[in-house]
Amino acid sequence: MEVRNNNNNKYDRQLRIWGDQGQLALEQANTCLLNCGPTGSEALKNLVLGGIGSCTIVDDSKVEARDLGNNFFVDWESIGLSKAKTVCNFLQELNDTVKAKFLEESPETIINVNPDFFSQFTLVIATQMKEQSLLMLDAICRKQGVMLLIARSFGLTGLIRISLKEHCVIESKPDNVIHDLRLQKPWAELKRFSDEFDTEIDDSVIHKHIPFAILLIKACEDWRKTHGDSLPSTSKEKAEFKNLLSSKRRGVDEDNYKEAILSAYRVWSSPTISSELQKILNDSAAEVNMNSPDFWVMVAALKVVVETIDTSVILSIKYIENVEFLPRPF
Amino acid sequence: MATPEELAVIEKAKVLMVGAGGIGCELLKTLALTGFKDIHLIDLDTIEVSNLNRQFLFRKQHVGQSKAKVARDAVLKFKPDIKIEAHHANVKNSDFDVEFFKQFNVVLNGLDNVDARRHVNRLCLAAGVPLVESGSTGYLGQVTVHVKDQTECYECQTKELPKTYPVCTITNTPSKPVHCIVWAKDLLFARLFGDRNQSSDLIVHTNDRTSSAATADTDFFNIKDGETPESYACRVFDGVFGDNIEVALRNEETWKSRKRPRPLYICEVYSDAKKPRIDGSCNSPDGNDKHTASAARILGLSNPQEVWTVRDSANVFLKALELLLNTRQKDIGSLVFDKDDQLAMEFVTAAANLRSSCFDIPMQSLFEAKGIAGNIVHAIATTNAIISGLIVLEAIKLLMGNLDDCRTTYCLEYPRRKMLLMPAELSAPKSSCYVCSQSTLLLEVNTTMTRLREVVEKIVRGQLSVNSPMISQGPCLIYETGDDLEEDMVTQYNQNLEKFLDSLPAPIVDGSILSIEDFQQEFTCHLQIKHREIFDEEKEPDNMVLSGKLSTTRDQALPGSVQLTAVADNVSIHAVDDDDEVILIDEVAKQDLKRKVLDEESVIVCGKRQRTEVS
Repeated sequence: MEVRNNNNNKYDRQLRIWGDQGQLALEQANTCLLNCGPTGSEALKNLVLGGIGSCTIVDDSKVEARDLGNNFFVDWESIGLSKAKTVCNFLQELNDTVKAKFLEESPETIINVNPDFFSQFTLVIATQMKEQSLLMLDAICRKQGVMLLIARSFGLTGLIRISLKEHCVIESKPDNVIHDLRLQKPWAELKRFSDEFDTEIDDSVIHKHIPFAILLIKACEDWRKTHGDSLPSTSKEKAEFKNLLSSKRRGVDEDNYKEAILSAYRVWSSPTISSELQKILNDSAAEVNMNSPDFWVMVAALKVVVETIDTSVILSIKYIENVEFLPRPF
Repeated sequence: MATPEELAVIEKAKVLMVGAGGIGCELLKTLALTGFKDIHLIDLDTIEVSNLNRQFLFRKQHVGQSKAKVARDAVLKFKPDIKIEAHHANVKNSDFDVEFFKQFNVVLNGLDNVDARRHVNRLCLAAGVPLVESGSTGYLGQVTVHVKDQTECYECQTKELPKTYPVCTITNTPSKPVHCIVWAKDLLFARLFGDRNQSSDLIVHTNDRTSSAATADTDFFNIKDGETPESYACRVFDGVFGDNIEVALRNEETWKSRKRPRPLYICEVYSDAKKPRIDGSCNSPDGNDKHTASAARILGLSNPQEVWTVRDSANVFLKALELLLNTRQKDIGSLVFDKDDQLAMEFVTAAANLRSSCFDIPMQSLFEAKGIAGNIVHAIATTNAIISGLIVLEAIKLLMGNLDDCRTTYCLEYPRRKMLLMPAELSAPKSSCYVCSQSTLLLEVNTTMTRLREVVEKIVRGQLSVNSPMISQGPCLIYETGDDLEEDMVTQYNQNLEKFLDSLPAPIVDGSILSIEDFQQEFTCHLQIKHREIFDEEKEPDNMVLSGKLSTTRDQALPGSVQLTAVADNVSIHAVDDDDEVILIDEVAKQDLKRKVLDEESVIVCGKRQRTEVS
């Protein structure tokens, strides 16, 4: 914790984007870069600056004079030397908390001869490689549950493609949240609490201090009695519901009624389980075992709650099946 | 990548970079690799630890040194054969005059504030040098091009000015965390540790003046003879969070449609427990290093991302106050708030949280509060790298004389219509722009009750961003600045500053037209004065309103183009919130791209223009 706090200052500006969890994910990641030409080096530079856990560069080429013009991470003194080693040393300088390693070997050789090499990584970044090798690499990574990111650049154009089996995202900060106040289905204690209030009471001070949520709970009950247990659904019914509330309002200073009318939408827009969410709950991956990732364990737990406790529990889980940045590769 | 013709032009080009920070480091690298050989670099800043996650030319050992110089040295190590001249200076310095700017083929901005950008914009217009502008915040960024008489200048589109909060919101009716932080930083901290003689809005008064807070006593915040830091801290606490709130509550009008605050007293917070006491720890060895001395750490609050409770905040408030009094005696009376001063930041966070709790506003963690108090902008290397690439591409087009190919390019967070980089055509200059097209502005002000000084500060230097103004009415010089002025002129000008507008030797009244000039910026504009008696305290806190002329036909975009208006500058001073025209920094950065012409065929893709009519 102390070490992390010390690094907080260095990472302050990016912590404000992805927070502690994002930073932890970065720092726990082991990456592998195949080919450290300009594309690979530049990509790795940004990751190293950000504090990636470790990076292993695989490249069997030597630094040549023509590399000096387009790769900032090689210099005159390194001509003739291993490019992987040169780039690795430079990147290490950028951030001493990153474990920078290199392997002077051609990526194609490893793919062909030692595919298990890739199983130690969280993410493999393959740059400037040919389709054939990429197809093999993709199969290897899929089998071993390693994320693959492919990048190619030509002059002023380039492409990036991501290949992974599944990417789970939990939206912890949804943009539009309507909190369910359980107005239509108060649980026992809330119902008892609501019953303690009397909207017909004479005392005006008490009347104007009845919480708006209670007013809405009672309005729901009254509505249900006269509308066959259903809730307002058409705009006419919604207007009628609001009128019922305002008819009970005794004066302009009764802010609780004002608030109740403004919040009446909560009665009919209470969130339910979306079909997307249901799909996730029904996914076979929700039958968890010892190896299941955290995401699915949480889904399994949610499933238990939903099935056994209440169907009006709210969570919003987005499921991204395919991640593509460009329409198709070429 | 470049053609032989381009390479020839690149190698001969003389380029000025303004800013050697996030964008600057990436830009210098890209320029060097592209083949540029003659680069000047201006940056007034020194390197800080928080720069190191993206300004990759700098290392830990460089902290405290000049950004421009270290950047130059780092690049020369890799490309010893190019010429880089580094200026550790403010670009507004008079050394960088029109003649200085004229020597360059193109100017590239990598700045982080609107004020400097406006200054460079004016100099580039005066010198007739094309300007490539850029900005970035987190994942967002943009690059655009300004060429005199051919395209809009930087100021053709009005930029958001730094928001000032109405005093009454800060002192009486805060509703957002930022209001409480501004109060804690600019009022409380300033009053306790800064210049005592400056008048303060810290004291709350009732309308009827029959009673006011104990804090109204001008000596209230001065430590009394024999008073221990501990009892002083408690007295201040009760004064600002208890007594002041009680007094404010007596103004019934204020609370008619607002939630009433609750006063908070020490005895309530500690009803069941002891207050943290001073012990030897405040004299610990690191107590004098402003970066490491910490009240929070002593109290066991070691996680800056954790939101403190009211009790925690009170503990930190008292402890930080004691530590500041004990370890910074010599600074008290002249201390300026610095977000990197750990104790000061903790004190401000604690005070802001306590005030927030009185007003039922959510409290903030130290980390969040620091971001708000210090106007911190989030940033990563990747976006800056992309932006620097785009800057160089535009620069090459300009050097080759291909203005038609130049674009404004937006770098988005998520692909939109399958594009992460969205280009848009440039627009023609606005005839209503008072900077590049001589036009008149309107200033509404109370000419009988406003002093010239206020107009100079708030309007001329403030909103118009003029550096060394010369103000005249017709042939009469009312005010000017400069090193070569005669003494009697200076005296006259200083006297003028204190006079009401209509009492000046050349009286400024309703209908007067003033000329505002700045020789360094080669900037001229005219200000028509309109007398007005009343101003809205909340909406017009400056007691004066500046407005521009309506635009005319010249403002239409070039045919076949898509107009995208974006509101994303890396403007670090801004805090704008969506309830009352004030959005927190994050939301300003979310670009608001409004497509004026929804015509997909007129979007430029891959540099090829589709010549279609605007439908």
